[in-house]
Amino acid sequence: MSPWEPGVFSLILYTIMVVAFVASQLFLAAWLGEKKPSVEKSRPYECGVIPTGTARFRYPVPFYLVAIFFLIFDIEGAYIFTWAVVYEEAGMPALIQMSFFIILLLVGLFYIWKHGGLDWKATYKEE
Amino acid sequence: MEGHVQGRMSERFLSLSDSVINWSRKFSLWPMFFGLSCCFVEEAAAFTSRYDLARFGAEVLRPSPRQSDLLIVSGTVFKKVAPVVLRLYEQMPEPKWVISMGSCANSGGMFDVYSVVQGVDQIIPVDIYVPGCPPRPEALLQGLVLLQEKIESLEKPARRVFHLGGGSQGTEAPILVDGINKTRDTRGTGYEAVPIRGTAATPRPSNFWGNRADDMWVPPARRIELSEPDRLVAEAVTARFGDAVRVDSGASDMLTFYVEQGSIKDVLLFLKTESRTKYKRLDDLTAIDESARRDKVWSSSLSQGFTDIGGGQAERAAGRKYPDFTMVYQLLSFDTATRVRVKTGLNAQTPATASVTGIWPSANWYEREVFDLFGIGFEGHPSLRRIIMPDYWEGHPLRKDYPGRATSMPPYTISDAMLDQPIDARELMKRDREDISGKHEFFLNIGPHHVSTHGLLRCVAELEGEEIRRLDLEIGYHHRAKEKLAEHQTWHQFIPYCDRVDYLAGSNSEMSYLLAVEKLADIKVPDRAQMIRILVCELYRLSNHLVWFSTFAHDLGAMTPNFYTFVEREQILDVIELITGGRLHPEWFRIGGVANDLPNGWKEAVDNLVRIFPGRLDEYERLIRKNPIFMARTKGIGRMSLDEAMDWGITGPNLRACGLEWDLRKKTPYSGYDQLDFEVPTDTGGDCYARYLVRVEEMRQSIRIIKQVAANMPAGSYITDQYRYTVPRRDEMLRDIETLINHFINVSSGPKMPRGEAYAASEVPRGEQGYFLVSDGLGYPYRLRIRGPGFANVQALPLMAQGESIADLISIIGSMDYILPDIDR
Repeated sequence: MSPWEPGVFSLILYTIMVVAFVASQLFLAAWLGEKKPSVEKSRPYECGVIPTGTARFRYPVPFYLVAIFFLIFDIEGAYIFTWAVVYEEAGMPALIQMSFFIILLLVGLFYIWKHGGLDWKATYKEE
Repeated sequence: MEGHVQGRMSERFLSLSDSVINWSRKFSLWPMFFGLSCCFVEEAAAFTSRYDLARFGAEVLRPSPRQSDLLIVSGTVFKKVAPVVLRLYEQMPEPKWVISMGSCANSGGMFDVYSVVQGVDQIIPVDIYVPGCPPRPEALLQGLVLLQEKIESLEKPARRVFHLGGGSQGTEAPILVDGINKTRDTRGTGYEAVPIRGTAATPRPSNFWGNRADDMWVPPARRIELSEPDRLVAEAVTARFGDAVRVDSGASDMLTFYVEQGSIKDVLLFLKTESRTKYKRLDDLTAIDESARRDKVWSSSLSQGFTDIGGGQAERAAGRKYPDFTMVYQLLSFDTATRVRVKTGLNAQTPATASVTGIWPSANWYEREVFDLFGIGFEGHPSLRRIIMPDYWEGHPLRKDYPGRATSMPPYTISDAMLDQPIDARELMKRDREDISGKHEFFLNIGPHHVSTHGLLRCVAELEGEEIRRLDLEIGYHHRAKEKLAEHQTWHQFIPYCDRVDYLAGSNSEMSYLLAVEKLADIKVPDRAQMIRILVCELYRLSNHLVWFSTFAHDLGAMTPNFYTFVEREQILDVIELITGGRLHPEWFRIGGVANDLPNGWKEAVDNLVRIFPGRLDEYERLIRKNPIFMARTKGIGRMSLDEAMDWGITGPNLRACGLEWDLRKKTPYSGYDQLDFEVPTDTGGDCYARYLVRVEEMRQSIRIIKQVAANMPAGSYITDQYRYTVPRRDEMLRDIETLINHFINVSSGPKMPRGEAYAASEVPRGEQGYFLVSDGLGYPYRLRIRGPGFANVQALPLMAQGESIADLISIIGSMDYILPDIDR
């Protein structure tokens, strides 16, 4: 394939234009305007007082658990969609297998639910 | 030649760029959501539908300095918050502009007092000053337009933008320094030869030589007869404690005990738990510095020759020393709706007494306040430290020897603002608890500058993830020292300060103050004046609850109600303006009445409001009442039990939402509320949703009250004929000399009030607000104490928020409806 093939040429040109445009925007945004750096300006904003400690620490995130569960079940969805495409050809055995698969997933979901994996509740209360 | 042409070309390019940049900037200013006090309410009004700030290109207010380029310093700049103001300004990107809004930000305004910076221009540069107290929203719009003109005509930003050197943009005004390019002299130019009031040359009013008040006669202070239950309590206490307790028979307002210092705790415990009338609530706790008393006799009753069970004469006979400080405890019984006052004298330069935090948990903040402002120690207090003033502060401001005026102190400068930082969050938490060592310990400051703290309150949360393990509150960022200011304002001059105690409730605070004054001197208020007062107060209650409604919804993510409810709020303010001439701070009530009669057309305006309001309220309620998100954020959140609420001194709608039907308008009717037919809405939920329901229902009841008052407005005078105490009617003042003399004295040196003390409280929109007045027989209060509902309500906030998530904290704060000037006063 020759580099002078029209399609390739326009692709390269397009790439260069995009890169140049983005670079120019980034450059202008960074360069234009007055900069007055100071200690206060580079300090994190926390309601007007000096923050305590660092922001880099281990932090319990309840959302994390929910997100992980979502991912797991979402990937299972991918199998089900592929099966849906070949539903006619795969026939009855596949239906039984997939039903088993889905029921198994549901059992897993109920298990998590029962154990409070989906609850977003306060785990700490003042003694 | 060629270079010259090039130069001209580039000049032309730069000047074109100047125009384009300036045009863009002036129509896209981004004000920061930053409010200090009253003025911010008018700033917020400027951003809602009637005034619509967005017309001028300054769209919504941005919550973070990173997103803003216009700092509108709206309100009083307190020394405690000045470092925060400076930091917010520094954290804004370039270029940036500053509008100083209102007298306080401009110059300290009416708050020439130790805690207030006398002009924000001492710490940050200012482009535009907007005068007013507070300026109307239109004035702020005018300020914004002036700033736009300044940007367009005076700034040449292109050279700065292209790094060419020179040019100008943003605020370039100098920071003003006292004595160099600014003067804080209260006398104004040309009066340098006159001594400054309140300094050594003109000592405190109590020491004035030849004070005219001494030549005037007034009837003695009001004196109450004890009711039967009170008499029984008095007998029980004297029987139980014998010599350690004496009853003051000259009290003007309630049963009053003098107690020996050693027995104070036992007496209070007895009154709370054993007495036949159980005084369950600690209504108020404060102190009086007695060092500047002119006539050091033991009790007010004694000086007027009353005999009593064991008051002053016994003291004198026993040769007891007049106390240096008096501690004042005031208790309330929910069963009989009566109060009792317990006083004890303290001697010594650094006095101390026993803490009562073991009896009432709510005593915690009250005792800290007394410690902070009077320097009185409390043995057994869990964490005795300053609460209002910052830690570095020297002296105890409410002592009589403390000067008080900001202008007699060294000016507050930018280097002070850099040094005096608010205390670090971890340090703050460590003070009360040594056991901070959690693995995930994380401290988050919510406030002093935060959209959802509704003022300058700092919540410090120790977090585990997003759950609040512990919450500590730091107050004092809004301390305008009104109690100190009162000591050199005449009884009349103090009225404007009342409005600023709760700037959303307007005249309601005047009502509480005047009830106390009128109780002390036994002043009869004509029926018409009483009803006019109720009318104005209820209008303000509606206005306050509308602001609460919209901000509560706003906190929970619904911005729309803001734009709706402010329409009716403006209509209410229009009615108020028609009647009083003012919007936020009418300063319209007078001792013994109001300033003027109702104007022509008031009835139509009120009727019009009463007609449309209920429908509108229903409409707004439909927006959020059954909204699933709103319910999820409020139901079961921030629960408080009735017992806790009573023990912590919670008042107002927050108490009623716990299930107690307790409203001073019903329980201790004042100003003619007993003639009106209305209900006290309650709910038993005790959570944020219950507080919402109670307040909304209260608006409907207020409308009911307004309707009745408007329909049955009595005829008669709008002010008392006891001209000895008040500003007389103008038509009469111009006609006879006696009234003219009264007028002259009462507006110049102030009306003389009899020696004594009185407490009165009224139901303001946020709860029970009371004024405790101590008069030494002068035109000025000897001591004025404000019992704000917010102080007690907010103290209990950690109780509701600990163990909940941060999101819930915001919801709880919104549902509490507090206001900072009433907490910090």
